[in-house]
Amino acid sequence: MNNSIRKHPWRRVFLYLFVFVLCIVILYPYFVMFTTAAKDRNEMYSLDMTVLPKEWKWSNFVEIWSAAPVLRYFLNSVLVSGGATIIAILCGIPAAYALSRMKFKGKSVFLGAVIMSQMFAPVVLLVGIYRLMMKISLVNNILGLILLNAAFNQAFAIWLLRGTFLSISPDMEQAAKIDGCNTVGSLIRVLIPMAAPGIVTTLIFVFINSWNEYTMALTLISTDVFKPITVGINVFYGLNMINWQYLFATSIFATIPVIILFLCIEKHLASGLTAGGVKG
Amino acid sequence: MKKTTLRKAEPYVWILPSIILMVGMIVVPVITVFQMSMSEISRAGVIKGYNNFDNFRAIFKSATFWHTLQNTFVWTVVVVGLSTVLGFIIAMVLNQKFHGRKFVRAIVVFPWATSLIIQATIWKYIIDSQFGSLNVILKKLGIISQNINWTPSAAAYFAWECWIGIFVTIPFVTFCVLSGLQSIDDTYYEAAEIDGAGFWKKLTRITLPLLRPSLTVSTVLNIIYVFNSFPIIWTITKGDPADKTHTLATYIYKLSFFNGKAGQAAAVSVVGFVILCICAGVYMVLSLRAEKEEDK
Repeated sequence: MNNSIRKHPWRRVFLYLFVFVLCIVILYPYFVMFTTAAKDRNEMYSLDMTVLPKEWKWSNFVEIWSAAPVLRYFLNSVLVSGGATIIAILCGIPAAYALSRMKFKGKSVFLGAVIMSQMFAPVVLLVGIYRLMMKISLVNNILGLILLNAAFNQAFAIWLLRGTFLSISPDMEQAAKIDGCNTVGSLIRVLIPMAAPGIVTTLIFVFINSWNEYTMALTLISTDVFKPITVGINVFYGLNMINWQYLFATSIFATIPVIILFLCIEKHLASGLTAGGVKG
Repeated sequence: MKKTTLRKAEPYVWILPSIILMVGMIVVPVITVFQMSMSEISRAGVIKGYNNFDNFRAIFKSATFWHTLQNTFVWTVVVVGLSTVLGFIIAMVLNQKFHGRKFVRAIVVFPWATSLIIQATIWKYIIDSQFGSLNVILKKLGIISQNINWTPSAAAYFAWECWIGIFVTIPFVTFCVLSGLQSIDDTYYEAAEIDGAGFWKKLTRITLPLLRPSLTVSTVLNIIYVFNSFPIIWTITKGDPADKTHTLATYIYKLSFFNGKAGQAAAVSVVGFVILCICAGVYMVLSLRAEKEEDK
C-alpha cells in the first residue's frame, strides 16, 4: 500500500492533514490541563477568559504541595502500586512458569479461570469487596488496596509472563538441570534473566494499572491520609468552587511519570499482549 | 512411588500462590455478591437472611434500572463500535511511512496511559458551560459569539460521556491493530497488486482476515472494560440529572454507597455478571479455539 501513496502526491497531503488533526485532537485535553494549571485562580472565574494564561503562574506547581497533603497521596500511590506489583509478580511468575513448562491435569481449566477473572472488573464486585474488606478489617487500609490490585492484575500478569516464557526455548533450562540445577535454580538463574524484558514490561504494566485505579480506592478509603492520588485530588473540589488550577497542576505530576513509563514498555507490550492474547 | 506423586503435585504448588490470591480477592467477593443479592440487608449492613428474591423484584420494578440497562447497552455498543472503527482507521494511517511517525505513534497512546479520572476531569472542565475551555477557544476563533451550553439535557451529557469513552478507548484499538498490521508480510500486497487488486479488495481480502485475531482481542477486552467503566460517568454526572445517565457500574455504586440499598445493588451486580458471563463464554471459546489451531 506504500506504493500507492508514492504514486499520488495529493494522498500525501491528505495523510499529513489527517495526522495533524489527529495530534491536535489528542493533545487538546493535555494542552487544557497544562495551561489551566498555570492560570491564576481569579483569572479562572473571570468573565474575560483567555486560552493561554495572561500571566503564567508557575507558583501553582509549588503551592499544591502545601495546599493539601499531596505528597502523602503520592506516597500512598507509590505504596499501593509498588506493593501490588511485587505481589502480582511473585504470584504470577510461578504460575506462568507452570503454565508454560509443565503438563498437568486442570491446566486448561486454570487457564480458562485466569481468562474469566478478567471479566470480573472490580466495579461489579464492589459490594462484595467492601463486605469482605470489612470482615478482615482492611477497609481504610493500604494493604487491602495492595492485595486487591494485585489480584485484579493477576490475569494480565500471568498472560504477559506466559507469553514471554513460551517464546523462550526450554533448552537452556534443561542444560542447567543436567549441570545439577534444580527447577527453582534453573528458573531463577536461567529463565528469569532471559525473560527480563517481558518481566519488566509486566512490572510496569501492573504498576501503571494500579497507579491509575480509582473505583476501589474511592470506595474503600475514606481517611485522608490513606488516599492515593487518584482519589486525593478530589480535595480541590471546594464546596462552592473548584480549584481547577491546583487540580490540574497535581494531575500533571500524576500523569507525566506514568506516560514516560508507558512509552518505555510500549514496544514490548505489543508483542506480549498479542503473543499472550492470540496464541492463548 | 512417592517420588511420582510428588512430581505430579509439583505444578499445583507453582500455581498455588496465584490461586490463593485470586480466590481470596475475586472469588470470595463473587460469592458474597450472590449471597447478598438474595438476602435482606439492613441499612447498617447486617445480612438478615434469604428474602425470596425481593431484591430482584424491586430492581425489575424500578424504571431507573431498565433505563440504566438501556444506557449500558448504548454506552457499550457506541463506545466499543466507534472506537474500533476510528482506531482501525488511525492505525491504517499510522502504518504508512511519513515524517514524524514515531512521534505521532507515541502521542496516540497518551490517553491509554493517563488515568481515566484525570481525563474525565479535564473534559468536565472543557465542556463547562460558563468557564469551559471549549467555549473560550471557539469564541477566540470567532466561531461563536455567545457561550454555548454544551450539556442542556441528560442526553447531551450522555453523548459527551460516550465521546470521552471513545477518546480514551481508541489508543488500545490502534495499538492492537498496528501490531497486527506490522506482522502482515508485504509480499501479500505486492502479489495482490500484480493481480490488479485495488484498495478495497486488499482491505477486505488481505488486511481484515489477517487482522482478525488482533481485532478479536481488542474488541472483547474493550467490551469488558467499557461495560464496567465507572470513572468517566461518575466524574461528569454521577448518573444525574434524575438518574438518567447511569450505566450499571455507577448505578451499583449509587444504590449501595449512597442509597444504602446493598441488597439491590448486589442484585444489579448479578445481572451485570450474567451479561459479562455471556461475553466471557464467547471470549473463552474463541481463545481456546485459537489455542487449538496453534497446536495443530
